[in-house]
Amino acid sequence: MGPSTSAPDPRFAEIESHRPYLVRYALSQLRDGQLAEEAVQEALLAALESIGSFGGKSSLRTWLTSILRFKVVDLQRRAIAERANLAHDESEGENEGWLDELFDSTGHWREAPQAWSNPEAALEQRRFWEAFERCLDKLPQAGSRVFFKREVLGEETETICKAEGITPSNCWVILHRSRIALRACLEKNWFGKEASFG
Amino acid sequence: MADSVDCRAASRLLSVAYERPLMPEELAALQVHLDKCLMCRNFESQLKFLHQAAQKYRTQD
Repeated sequence: MGPSTSAPDPRFAEIESHRPYLVRYALSQLRDGQLAEEAVQEALLAALESIGSFGGKSSLRTWLTSILRFKVVDLQRRAIAERANLAHDESEGENEGWLDELFDSTGHWREAPQAWSNPEAALEQRRFWEAFERCLDKLPQAGSRVFFKREVLGEETETICKAEGITPSNCWVILHRSRIALRACLEKNWFGKEASFG
Repeated sequence: MADSVDCRAASRLLSVAYERPLMPEELAALQVHLDKCLMCRNFESQLKFLHQAAQKYRTQD
């Protein structure tokens, strides 16, 4: 694919539209923002070069992710020396003080979770996914990474703990916190009566 | 034990149930709480929705 190409493949824009997802995937694996961007950039370039071989058997996102995975593994190898220094950068500890912001002293919700009407319909709306991504972005970095690995990629908790250098109970705390934060963000911005994203 | 689960503890159990099986006494106490707490039932549905949305997010076109 050289600079002389006159009519760009219409799928280029489509590929580009998956960039936010791919960046999150890379961040969940690499935790270093610059490395993650680098991996995505390399993967997208590789994808553009080989788009002709994409047969549409899997979703475009799945295909792009498989290309990205190779780039990530490659960069992981290069970055592995730094891993030891990074393992504890934002360990959340056993501290559950954050729960005090969400629950009062009698253990009740400060902001009661509402009933969401027909949430499944949201999954079909492009703007819902924009809101979903914005809410993911608001999580603390460790939370966003762990939630992505556990819920989006379906990695085992044990695998996640090892990669993050944390204990299972730390991991559970981070997930608990992330889920509450996500549901609150979606309620505020999408499902709530005064939603601002939707 | 049955009375010891408040919303805070219930939300923790509902979340951790996605990572490990709950013990019978945890399940029993959680159920007692859920039966009388609409807010936590809403939270339970929302966790299910988040789980579903996250999986869909992976393969979306």
